[in-house]
Amino acid sequence: MTKFVVRRIFWTIPVILLVILLTFVMMRQIEGNPFRTGERAVPESIQANLERKYGLNDPAYVQYFNYVKGVFTFDLGPSLVLRQRDVNDIVKEHFPESAELGGLAFLFAMAFGIPLGMIAALKANTPIDYSAMFFSNIGFAVPSFLVATLAIYYFALTWDVGVPTSGWTTWQSKILPVVSLGLGPMAYFARLTRGTMLETMQADYIRTARAKGLRWRRIVFTHTLRNSLIPVVTAAGPLLGFLITGSFVIEQIFAIPGIGRYFVSAVTGRDYSVVMGLTVLLSVIVILANMVVDILYGVLDPRTRDARA
Amino acid sequence: MALLEVRDLQTHFFTREGVVKAVDGVSFTLEKGKTLGIVGESGCGKSVTALSIMGLIPKPPAKIVGGEVLFEGRDLTKLSERQLEDVRGKEIAMIFQDPMTSLNPTLKIGTQITEVIRRHYGVGKDEARKRAVGLLDEVHIPNAAGRLDDYPHRFSGGMRQRVMIAIALSCNPKLLIADEPTTALDVTVQAQVLDLLDELRHSHDMSMIIITHDMGVVAEAADDIIVMYAGQFVEQATTLDLFDHPEHPYTEALLGALPQIEGEGIREGRLTAIPGRPPDLIDPPVACRFGPRCPYANRKDSCTTTMPELREIRPGHLVRSAHPTSERAEVREEVPV
Amino acid sequence: MAVSPKDTRVRAATLAGPVGQAGTAGEALRQASLWRDAWYRYVRNKGAVIAGVVFVLLVLYCYLIPGFWKIPGIWTSLADIDPYAVEFADARQGMSLAHPLGTDRFGRDMLARTALGGQVSIQIGFAATLVILVIGIAYGSISGFVGGMVDNAMMRFLDALYGLPYLPFAIITLAIIGTINIWTMTIALSIASWFTTARIVRGQIISLKENDYVRAAKAVGARWHRILLRHLLPNTLGVLIIAVFLELPGVVLGEAFLSFIGLGISPPEASWGAMAQDGRAVYRVQPLLIVIPSVAIAMLVLCANFIADGMRDALDPRTRET
Repeated sequence: MTKFVVRRIFWTIPVILLVILLTFVMMRQIEGNPFRTGERAVPESIQANLERKYGLNDPAYVQYFNYVKGVFTFDLGPSLVLRQRDVNDIVKEHFPESAELGGLAFLFAMAFGIPLGMIAALKANTPIDYSAMFFSNIGFAVPSFLVATLAIYYFALTWDVGVPTSGWTTWQSKILPVVSLGLGPMAYFARLTRGTMLETMQADYIRTARAKGLRWRRIVFTHTLRNSLIPVVTAAGPLLGFLITGSFVIEQIFAIPGIGRYFVSAVTGRDYSVVMGLTVLLSVIVILANMVVDILYGVLDPRTRDARA
Repeated sequence: MALLEVRDLQTHFFTREGVVKAVDGVSFTLEKGKTLGIVGESGCGKSVTALSIMGLIPKPPAKIVGGEVLFEGRDLTKLSERQLEDVRGKEIAMIFQDPMTSLNPTLKIGTQITEVIRRHYGVGKDEARKRAVGLLDEVHIPNAAGRLDDYPHRFSGGMRQRVMIAIALSCNPKLLIADEPTTALDVTVQAQVLDLLDELRHSHDMSMIIITHDMGVVAEAADDIIVMYAGQFVEQATTLDLFDHPEHPYTEALLGALPQIEGEGIREGRLTAIPGRPPDLIDPPVACRFGPRCPYANRKDSCTTTMPELREIRPGHLVRSAHPTSERAEVREEVPV
Repeated sequence: MAVSPKDTRVRAATLAGPVGQAGTAGEALRQASLWRDAWYRYVRNKGAVIAGVVFVLLVLYCYLIPGFWKIPGIWTSLADIDPYAVEFADARQGMSLAHPLGTDRFGRDMLARTALGGQVSIQIGFAATLVILVIGIAYGSISGFVGGMVDNAMMRFLDALYGLPYLPFAIITLAIIGTINIWTMTIALSIASWFTTARIVRGQIISLKENDYVRAAKAVGARWHRILLRHLLPNTLGVLIIAVFLELPGVVLGEAFLSFIGLGISPPEASWGAMAQDGRAVYRVQPLLIVIPSVAIAMLVLCANFIADGMRDALDPRTRET
């Protein structure tokens, strides 16, 4: 078991390196130099100094190497545009908000989506099932910016339920953004859970469990759910990526000071290090999340543990 | 009182294409301590009969629409689901055809055994584990105690079937229903499993129903045999009587299709297959269902218009046919393949 | 297996069975019935049929309305109006007979704008999906077919690509390209989303590679590209069609999100996402401006999902009674 875990962790390192490399290469392709696109043209000599300071003149592989070193020592370098600040600072200031938003949305999606799917599966082909699935289909298809906007319009303004229209401070202010962001994933989980549960319930071993005279509750929770959750867990990993990207939009709408806004302005402003830093950060998170999912999968399904051996 | 008495059981499947009359009037009696074999080709309704007894048919499309299943005098068809849950596993147990898929791959073997014991006896974990080890020993799984914490994929097919048997025995049921217990296994393993079942039947004083399409299996294991065809049962007799003097044309054909390696009266040449296919169970024929394939029916017979009655042609030997063997004067023709 | 070369070639030529169906190299008659069977099953699924109809109607609306409007003469299409000539007097009206879906901030008719916007969104959606398919099929089939170390390496690389989150990846790609128009958007979105398709294709190829009819083809001496093109790919057709309808929503939503945060195609060639962003500023006064394009997106996504579900049910070999 531990061998399995260790091996998974081991394999993520080259993947992370590769991601850094890819981002690095891509960033180099973006034409333009941050120092030339400013409104005030910077004098040549100062520009040369700046370039040297930031290492922009070093050969590519040196820059790459330094960067990798930086990543692993948690030093993502200084921001090229906002002269006084390091990428690290930006991250430290704004990433927690985004992380909290994403994390809460994820929990929301799982906490409501999975039970919804379960109920739909247990009451398959009844009005309860149909309405649950109808609701989740809508939740899945409607873009989150519409959900957010409508939510603000109705809950914050028209009906005035006590939630603010923006900001990320009190717990009330967190409700709307979390729900807007998490609605889609919640619907996705509901559909997925329903599907896998229905499928599992057809399995032979469920028939065996019934033949043993086990109580229905035990059959559902111990036998069916365990097996159904495996695909759901696998889907959770990539979902994190969705949450990250979805948060850009939500952050804009609710004026949440997360890293989403910085990302876009950094790209248009050719702020290499911020873009790279953020992308690498996000990528590492996604990769780690996938790794956790893989390991979880091994925990839930004993067959994979031995198969990899 | 007989252990199990099934009277005119009818189980129908309500599908979009129509009502499939999977079991259409099956009756039999099983005495304590005996083994009953139910044979027939795929789709004849034998598994559905077994599942109906236990109430395990998938309830939305399927429904027991008629008949009674009297287990020790109690009609199982009238019990609620909760009451049935008490009967299943404890009074009547069932093992299934495919041991690969019949065990939950994500739970340890030990758990799958102890959960039944704890469910019906309410004992603690340790006591249940002790019993589980004992059961694995009984089914001849080596290193029982060590194997309790293994997952099903670590076992071979034959061993998995033994585990299934152990699970079934765990609460000392009075009746064990085995649905094609050997079909998914290698031939050598088949013999072992059948021997095991026989041994356990005696040591646990159990009655058994074996469902199979393999005549060789019932020949060895069953005391009495029922032959099913197209949702009905067409012949019932003791094993010896059935094999020596089959009455129904279908049974004859089944026996005729058996390859014989040695023995007296060995038939040379090709195996006789039964031409044609079983009827559609959505709209079964009103007359004898075997009619179209029966080599003895001709158009003027009553069996082409009405369903033959079930009659006792000899003590203990029932048959549903207008042309049972003992009443046929002409020499049996070899039906060409 | 005594197979004559002519037999195999004839049978191979008629192969196009759906997903996972074991290699029964059937005659042409049986082949047609497999697809027809799937069609019948699809049609029986009411939701999928409705979705299909709505989908087609939506597409037709987007491409026909702007043209049609010139005819009655009552409404004028956006093409007639100079996009920069605005009628502020008409601005931000609600639904009315002259403007069934209202007008936007500049007085442009919403019905026409939504149709045109739809053209952009749908075009990007289909184009990107196509590109995704091409890249995904190429990558997946090479990886699955060649197998071994190449496959391993390709999959590791794919793992790394999976690590790059969708939007940032697309954004960076756009930044690299420099301009943002329909084609660049298409490329950016597809580059960021082909991974799943590649995996699916690879999975299919691997499971089909060992099928008997492939062995039969090899036994007759068929070259590898022939095997790939004539045998393996047609059998993945079912999965691919489903993948199309699954990727489409992702691309359309992706484009909408990008437009919404300001990285969309610039007007007047606005897509639904860009229109929604436009509408956001004034949603308190005229909610229609954000609601309509968003609803349009939602409809497209919903229909695509239902169609994909319906097709999956129709083609699923497990539930088919062969």
